[in-house]
Amino acid sequence: MFIGKEKIIPIIAMIVLLIGIFSAIYVNATQINKDTITINEKEFTIEQLFRFTLSKTILTDEGEKNGIALDDLIYKIGIECGECNEYTFKAKDGYQQTVNCDLMQKGVLTDYSRVYFSDTAHVLWVRDVIEIEVR
Amino acid sequence: MEKNKKKLIAGIILFGSLWGFSEVLLGSTLENAGISSGGIMTGFFAITFLVASKIFYRQPGIQLGMGLIAGGLRIFNPFVGCQICSAIAIMVEGAVFELIWYKFSFDIEKYKTYTIQMSMGILTAFLLYVSGYTITQILTPILAGSGFYFENLVIFMPRILASGLLPALIGAFMVPVIMQIKKLDLTVKDDLYYPATISISVFCWIFVISIWFMMA
Repeated sequence: MFIGKEKIIPIIAMIVLLIGIFSAIYVNATQINKDTITINEKEFTIEQLFRFTLSKTILTDEGEKNGIALDDLIYKIGIECGECNEYTFKAKDGYQQTVNCDLMQKGVLTDYSRVYFSDTAHVLWVRDVIEIEVR
Repeated sequence: MEKNKKKLIAGIILFGSLWGFSEVLLGSTLENAGISSGGIMTGFFAITFLVASKIFYRQPGIQLGMGLIAGGLRIFNPFVGCQICSAIAIMVEGAVFELIWYKFSFDIEKYKTYTIQMSMGILTAFLLYVSGYTITQILTPILAGSGFYFENLVIFMPRILASGLLPALIGAFMVPVIMQIKKLDLTVKDDLYYPATISISVFCWIFVISIWFMMA
């Protein structure tokens, strides 16, 4: 049986809407709510991290951003050979970005758990960070 | 150059410039107000300019060109920093629209029912937004020097698909509205068409570039 465009287009549109709806449900159901940040399988609060790491201010196209220096953070939590690794920042909503050690030197983690890097696209700025995976 | 070709090129530049201009001014204003502009800009403005140009010109390639022009103008966006991501996303939106409507454009007159028009709005806005968003997530990390990681995209894909819902719903409303243009007689004489298209396009570019220089 041949189905004309008059029928197939609304069917595809319905499928597209259903994909969007189910994705929205999935995203809400899988969102992780926690107040700590997992770094190298250890849990830290943002206040703890601020206590033992150096703070620095970087300049971004959205102005100055102050926070924990990411290169110092990696050093302070005892990761040997920081330059050998890559670092994946994971957000509450599932968003994640992986950066190399060169970018870590340009980045800060703010007290509202957002990562900024100077001179980079906003795609790399992860908000509501809940985990930093060392790879 | 053929008269018809000149007219098409002027149309590409006009609609592309208007699209880019709206992205720069309104998109940035929404972003600064803390409103995520991507879905709204695609659902309202991208769909409006792309569908309107399709109705006016009914030739393949117009929307691809519009995407390049609008993306080019977006690079000069003085208000937010991620110019290259937005520019790429707009260019991809133009190309995806071209692909979706390639077949549709030749029998556009056949689709008179609201069901078809709304369905095309949903389909087009959703696919435009999702593809622009996805390409941005692939290309921007590469351009930023951190490299592309496939697993990062896969994990984030449900979020991208979910965010396509808003533009899809806006598109469902916008396409039937824009289709009403067909009922109007909008024939413009050549001696008005070229000065109007060129002056509006030049205004868009000069306005954005001069703000860019002032804010640099």
